[in-house]
Amino acid sequence: MEQNTFLKPRTISAIKDFICVLPALVFLGIFTYYPICKLIQISFTDWNLLNDTWNYVGLKNWIWLFNGSGTKHLLNSLKVTVLYSIGELTITLLGGLAFALIFGRLNKTFSIMRAIVFMPKYVAMSSAAVVFLWILNTDTGILNYLLNCVGLPSVDWLGNRNTALLSVLMLTGWRAIGYGMMIYLSAMIGISKDYYEAASLDGATAVQSFFKITLPMLSPTTLFLFVTTFISSMKVFQSVDILTSGGPYRATEVFVYTIYKYAMEDFRMDRASVVAIAFFVLLLVVTASTFKISNSSVHYDS
Amino acid sequence: MKGTNSSLERQLAAQRKKKIVTGVQYTLAIIVTLIVIFPLYWMISSSVKSQDEILLLKPTLWPHEIHLENYSNVFNRVNFGKYYYNTIVMTAGILGSQIITGVFAAYGFSKGKFKGQNACFIFVLGALMIPLQVTFIPIFIMCANWGMSDTFLGLILPECISPYYIFMLRQTFMAIDDSYIDAAKVDGLGRIGIITKILTPMCKSTLFTTTLVTFTNGWNSYFWPKIIAKNEQRRVLTVGLAQLKNTFAGQATMNNHEIMAGAVMAILPVVVMFFIFQKYMLTGYSKAAMK
Amino acid sequence: MKKALAIMLTAAMGCGMLSGCSGGGSTGGGAVQQTTQAAQAAGDSGSSSGETSAAPAVDASMYEVTEPITIQWWHSIEDQNAQTVEDVVSAFNSSQDLITVEAVYVGSYGQVNEALVAAHAAGTGLPAVTVANTPYVAEYGAGGLTEDLTPYIQATGFDIDDFGKGLIDASSYEGKQVALPFLISTQVIYYNKDIADELGVTVPEKWDDMESFLEKVSVVNNGTVERYGTVVPGWDQWYFETFYLNKGVNIINDDRISTDLDSDAAVELVYQFKDWCDKGYMYWANGTDASSIMRQNFIDKKTFSVMHTSSLYNNYVDKCDFEVGMAWLPGGETKDQEIGGCVLLIPSKNDQATKNAAWQFLSYLCSKEVNMTWAKETGYIPTRNSVLQTEEGVKFLEEKPAFQCIFDNLDLINPRIQHPGWNQLATIWKNYMAEIMIEDVDIPSKIEDMVEEINEVLEDS
Repeated sequence: MEQNTFLKPRTISAIKDFICVLPALVFLGIFTYYPICKLIQISFTDWNLLNDTWNYVGLKNWIWLFNGSGTKHLLNSLKVTVLYSIGELTITLLGGLAFALIFGRLNKTFSIMRAIVFMPKYVAMSSAAVVFLWILNTDTGILNYLLNCVGLPSVDWLGNRNTALLSVLMLTGWRAIGYGMMIYLSAMIGISKDYYEAASLDGATAVQSFFKITLPMLSPTTLFLFVTTFISSMKVFQSVDILTSGGPYRATEVFVYTIYKYAMEDFRMDRASVVAIAFFVLLLVVTASTFKISNSSVHYDS
Repeated sequence: MKGTNSSLERQLAAQRKKKIVTGVQYTLAIIVTLIVIFPLYWMISSSVKSQDEILLLKPTLWPHEIHLENYSNVFNRVNFGKYYYNTIVMTAGILGSQIITGVFAAYGFSKGKFKGQNACFIFVLGALMIPLQVTFIPIFIMCANWGMSDTFLGLILPECISPYYIFMLRQTFMAIDDSYIDAAKVDGLGRIGIITKILTPMCKSTLFTTTLVTFTNGWNSYFWPKIIAKNEQRRVLTVGLAQLKNTFAGQATMNNHEIMAGAVMAILPVVVMFFIFQKYMLTGYSKAAMK
Repeated sequence: MKKALAIMLTAAMGCGMLSGCSGGGSTGGGAVQQTTQAAQAAGDSGSSSGETSAAPAVDASMYEVTEPITIQWWHSIEDQNAQTVEDVVSAFNSSQDLITVEAVYVGSYGQVNEALVAAHAAGTGLPAVTVANTPYVAEYGAGGLTEDLTPYIQATGFDIDDFGKGLIDASSYEGKQVALPFLISTQVIYYNKDIADELGVTVPEKWDDMESFLEKVSVVNNGTVERYGTVVPGWDQWYFETFYLNKGVNIINDDRISTDLDSDAAVELVYQFKDWCDKGYMYWANGTDASSIMRQNFIDKKTFSVMHTSSLYNNYVDKCDFEVGMAWLPGGETKDQEIGGCVLLIPSKNDQATKNAAWQFLSYLCSKEVNMTWAKETGYIPTRNSVLQTEEGVKFLEEKPAFQCIFDNLDLINPRIQHPGWNQLATIWKNYMAEIMIEDVDIPSKIEDMVEEINEVLEDS
């Protein structure tokens, strides 16, 4: 009896419960939160991976980034990343919705076709990228061959600054569009038939009921797709790395690629860190603002 | 008389219209499907073509001859077997550790009671906001200093906990009534018993679908393996495949038939899984949609 | 469903444990693995390279291999020469009993660089011996990444004087011999000899004759290019940097913190290149696939010539159904060229036993016999004076007459520009050059931007 005054059964139970979550907390502490602090520390040093020693240099890297030769590249990365995100959002949202309308028939043939359209999501990006690398090749790619067949000139898809980002988007869009379709479709199936029956009794056309019923009812889904696609598209790396390596002349150099290049190719840990922090802040702002939109402007049905 | 006639006409017109709509929908759907499948078809058909056929100025849609030796060529000349092994071990390691830590943490956050539970949960959720793409520099340095470059531990450790996985499971566990847990406690089951005998079986479908998503993410992961596994020893499929074009670059000509063979081999397990578990794979994602 | 889950879980857990074990067991890199076999008598160890003999001054016993050891060699020798790598390594392994070498293909020179620097920073996972592209010697020397080989050379009596002076300079940093030349090449022009004979042209020796030459060999009909005169590999500035040097441009000024790439001579060159690109005489190859595209175009006769490295000679000859000619690049005031390819070095953070074994393997790889194996089977250049200036050289030239142009100009092959910021400079430079050549941009303002950026990098390195 007296032994238990120090540790009550409730306390023991609480400790045991805490032990269940402890590994997760420790790991997240080491591999997520600590690195952020470390990143901030590195951003005030002149650390080059080639050198064994480093010194604190105050705000030098920050000045380089916001008021030096780094600014130009920061703005470039920002522009490229935002353009890319807009592209991927358009493909996933508009393309996904259009596909959902095309493939919305519930029979065996369509379910097979749906599976095919959705499958690219599961094709590893690097496999897909090497195929697209060849399809888009200026001289031996089949896309240019087809263009030539209909009398159009060849396009240097990956080598031209105007088409390089578009080419990357073709690849990611190919993988994303079926996913958008599936998400929209499963939401559409959930919309009660009563709404449509009532509308058709009122004499509404299919187009009218699409805009008056389907679209508003899909707004939570749209928002979900918007938020997740936006945030994940900001972090794009692999398709850019394999298709263009950020080129031509930085025309596809998205944020993550810029950080990667400073850190792993130039070994400038100092510069990579300031860019990484800037990117982190941008991500936070984007996440926060999308959540703000979500709380104010979505039509939730029950 | 006149009225019935016109209503019949209207009906016929509506039927005609319906037929046209159906026809258009079928045509569109078939065209789109063909376009979407084309890159995959191109990958597979090219992977069995000969090099001469690959270099033809007029591409051939259907291979003239089947050259399965492209596959064995890739397998022999590049360490593809090793890549496979590395990918399997890495994926299994990530999966195993994410499931175990995820299930326990989810239990703690849903059914456990301790001081600071909410603060701890926010700590986990906050980690969702900090992606590896931001923190990879310090993590890479830590792992390298601990001698984990080019090791399985290095490949797995930074991804062995997924806050997303914890979150998903916690939501599912929350939905289970506490009375089950209390009854189990009365029967003398401990925490491990409750988790393995009660919670896991009751949430098996969520667990399964989330696990499938984790599996494909692990199998297809690229960013971190590229950073931490720099040489052949622990290279994974995705990185090795992207590398193929450099390895073969010295051969002066396009080796796309062999690169395609490599690409097919790299995706095979996941695509096969996709067809087997198609239904679950979709729900895996739409469940995520509800977060 | 339940079963499937159970199987997946069990499998996952099983594999997870497995991975833990194997992860711990193989710390990778150049970790020294002691084999359990009985140690061989220490005296045998010196016989491996055929060049090691007792040396004065330094205590040779310090650099002997006494225990069995397994070491790693990182290289970037691509797939088509994999057999040669295997032959060379297994010949070494069977020539002595103590050292076992594992050859590891890491990737391109750039990837070797990334892996090596990362391993050096961590202090673990280092290879015993590694190749390094010639421009990295200064970065590594300055960062203390490389072992000074001078005592090893003295201790084992390695005949270093048999290398040409340019090669020695290219592999040393501030007077220390931090590396040794391994696979050495230089820039050349490969051209289609059949077409050249048909047209009666030769590749010019003077830059000033370039325009008329390109005009003759390229075929442009109403703006569509049927055959380019030449292709410049824009993905690596090494291929065009000699044209600047031969015009007297200092890519890095003597003050070490600024560049001369905006001087009149440099700007004139840019305009010349641009003019030829616009006319369809010249193609500026850029992008991820550029190298194989360029080669394929040459093979398909879509270009008369390409500028590339001499190391790919055998490759071009094998793949082309016409006679391949090789010529020295046209010169300006001078016609100097630069060393390409790679040197071999020993990372300094290895332990002494590994370093000793590494040195034996390294000196074997740099020996005359191995060097001649590479020279015969690829397009790398023989590095030894005792080959170049003797009967052996004559015999080599009989087999590969195209190498006459290199043998004639051997003295003109110079070390690379050495600066810790070189790599960053090169990236900036080639990016701007590609942009200027391929896009329609305001050239003066681009050059201004480029020079500003380069100067900032040079000052900061």
